[in-house]
Amino acid sequence: MTEFDIAIEVDARGAFCPGPMMELIKAIRQAEVGEFIALLSSDEGTRVDVPAWIDKAKHELTKLINEDGFDRYIVKKLH
Amino acid sequence: MKTVSIVTSLKNYTEGTKMKNIVIIGGGFSGLATANHLARKVDRKKVKITLIEPKEENIYEPEYLFWVFQDKPISNLLKPISKLLSKKVNWIKTTATKIDPEKNTVITDNEDNIPYDFLVLATGARMAHEQVDGYCTADNVCEFYTKEGVIHLKEKLREFDGGTIVITPTTVPYKCPPAPIEFAFLLDKYLRKRGIRHKSTIKFLYPLSRAFTMAEPAKRVEKLFAKRNIKFTPFFNFETVDTNNNKLLSLEGEEIGYEGLIIVPPHEGQDVIKASGLGDKEGWITTDRYTMKHTEYNNIYAIGDGTNLPVSKSGAVSHFSSNILVKNLVAELKGKEPKVKYSGLTICFIITSFHKSMLLHFSYEYPPKKYGLHSTFLFGLFKKAFKYAYFMFLIKGRL
Repeated sequence: MTEFDIAIEVDARGAFCPGPMMELIKAIRQAEVGEFIALLSSDEGTRVDVPAWIDKAKHELTKLINEDGFDRYIVKKLH
Repeated sequence: MKTVSIVTSLKNYTEGTKMKNIVIIGGGFSGLATANHLARKVDRKKVKITLIEPKEENIYEPEYLFWVFQDKPISNLLKPISKLLSKKVNWIKTTATKIDPEKNTVITDNEDNIPYDFLVLATGARMAHEQVDGYCTADNVCEFYTKEGVIHLKEKLREFDGGTIVITPTTVPYKCPPAPIEFAFLLDKYLRKRGIRHKSTIKFLYPLSRAFTMAEPAKRVEKLFAKRNIKFTPFFNFETVDTNNNKLLSLEGEEIGYEGLIIVPPHEGQDVIKASGLGDKEGWITTDRYTMKHTEYNNIYAIGDGTNLPVSKSGAVSHFSSNILVKNLVAELKGKEPKVKYSGLTICFIITSFHKSMLLHFSYEYPPKKYGLHSTFLFGLFKKAFKYAYFMFLIKGRL
């Protein structure tokens, strides 16, 4: 589906509460440094939250793919 | 005629087959409500329902928040399970330690093997206090998610005479997402009442960019925070606490000092789920978000705070999804396909003071819609009615 070797895929489509952002943070804690995480979200607020959090937490939003009815965020854990 | 035909069809569903065993693990709200609801839907001569739960009492957890600030006896919040559980349910007062899903057996701590045809996991969330450094040793690190935590916090608040109180969740997900916000609102009122608000700072730290998981209610919460001088720090994901220097450290690298720290304790799935390989890395039961079945085992259902459903861990979710689970399980007992789907329906209650609140509802398909319940009179009535409904109807699986 993507050119990245995804260690954890989080399907948070349809989630408003507790929210895809929280699912991503959970995945970041579980992943090893250097691994890629894919977050699937249909929530519009995620488009603002995920890049802002990644910026503050100093990880990497490697790619954002718009798919049919949802977005796929590819995130690399940097530290 | 219609009633007779329904009763007849329910009683005939296991005609010609051996007795079916439904085993439910967990006697919290979800387990009791599901057991009681099922007990009314099945013929006890054909189906045996067993509940495994070591505790003798059920506690009304929504009241914890208020109990911190008010002098009410704990007995108000407790009811013996013997008075809440249907007599048609066989109650085994022990702990389930392992499940063998290949042999359809539950193993208990006294090494009994309990066979099942269908298993319902209502195991709930475990408060993993041991994950917070210094929680047990530092007197000024408190929580309000357990009975013991509430007793400790109550005492510490009485002694508090000014300084900085920090409120934060330690992990996600956790039970009742608005609870820390509600606590901040009530704490503000409490400190004003005691006349020490002017020498106290309340800091609310949250993992997201906003003060609540959902954008629209978060705007209202942040406005109220500003009005009540509750200082909000976004994107603060708890990493650890330095109890020697009273400092909190985040995953994002921030440090915040405190005189009193009030945490939402780390939550995770129960040991029995981990030991049986039925959950994810944190022990949350992997559950189909629509059918309430385990994602791997067709004769296992899951309900309540122990699941990994992408919705709130709350009594409302347990209530609505329990109805779906019961319909699907009864259909299977009749040899039919379990077709009913849970829509993710949730009703969420955000308390903004001792007398006011906001009500929200949402599902997998639509975002939160707001209902106001600002009137003191209505709120008081609703709060009393809800506690009554919890013990009289909801936990008995009657609504």
